[in-house]
Amino acid sequence: MALSRSMRTCLHSARLAFLAILVSGGIVLQILACALYNNWWPMLTVLMYLILPMPLIFFLGSDTSSMMSNGGDGWVNFTKFLTGTSVVGSIAIPSILKHAGVIGWGALSMELSSFVVFGVAILWFLQMSGEDEYSGVF
Amino acid sequence: MDSNNFLAAWPVVGPGVAGAVFGAGWWFWVDAVVCSAAAVPFLHYLPGFFASFAALMFNCVNREDIGDGYYSPYDDSEWRVKLWLFISYVVSFVSLAGAVGFLVQDALTDTGPSAWTGTAGVLQCVFVLVSGLIYWTCHSED
Repeated sequence: MALSRSMRTCLHSARLAFLAILVSGGIVLQILACALYNNWWPMLTVLMYLILPMPLIFFLGSDTSSMMSNGGDGWVNFTKFLTGTSVVGSIAIPSILKHAGVIGWGALSMELSSFVVFGVAILWFLQMSGEDEYSGVF
Repeated sequence: MDSNNFLAAWPVVGPGVAGAVFGAGWWFWVDAVVCSAAAVPFLHYLPGFFASFAALMFNCVNREDIGDGYYSPYDDSEWRVKLWLFISYVVSFVSLAGAVGFLVQDALTDTGPSAWTGTAGVLQCVFVLVSGLIYWTCHSED
């Protein structure tokens, strides 16, 4: 489907806007999980959310293909390791809090849905930046 | 789903999977300590720490150093790598055995940590060591 240049930039901005909506939605869900129940323990999950996008932050400046290609730098592998740990951690911290009886089912479900929203946002962002490499500006 | 694609994608997602398994192991332990009614003695923490240390140890090894590639009669440094690996295997097996021992002890006695603490300890050891293995398989596929 051949789009005109202006249409393509418009679609690109729409995608960025949708991405921003997803991320802010995730943040809102996370804060609501604490505020609605007046229990600020679930904010611990924010620690995990900080570690989660590390490969993107560190290696976004350089070519993203180094992340997608095989093998790669030792540091790329280590940041992927950290991402894997933080993914499990963002699911584990709310579950542990629920198991210990510190939060209830409502807060747990909001935490998990916030995690899902963040995950979708990151995957969408990766797909977008992967597309940009091929289509390019010129 | 053809296996060729999987093999090509493994070095890309492998470290992430290893991190996830490692995290799962340690978070099981955190859950057991948090939800334990009795205080968990420091001795029970040791198998997990030693298993993580062993996983770190055998990941420091470059796979090519052990390889049967170019053998030179003047090159005698191979034994150091093998000794390092041997020590890491010993540490990992001892930590696994220790975790199982603590599980049996927790299950048999009423005082002290519950059976869930012992189970979580064994799960932690197993997951940590498996994650070390997974990480090893992906960083040496060049």
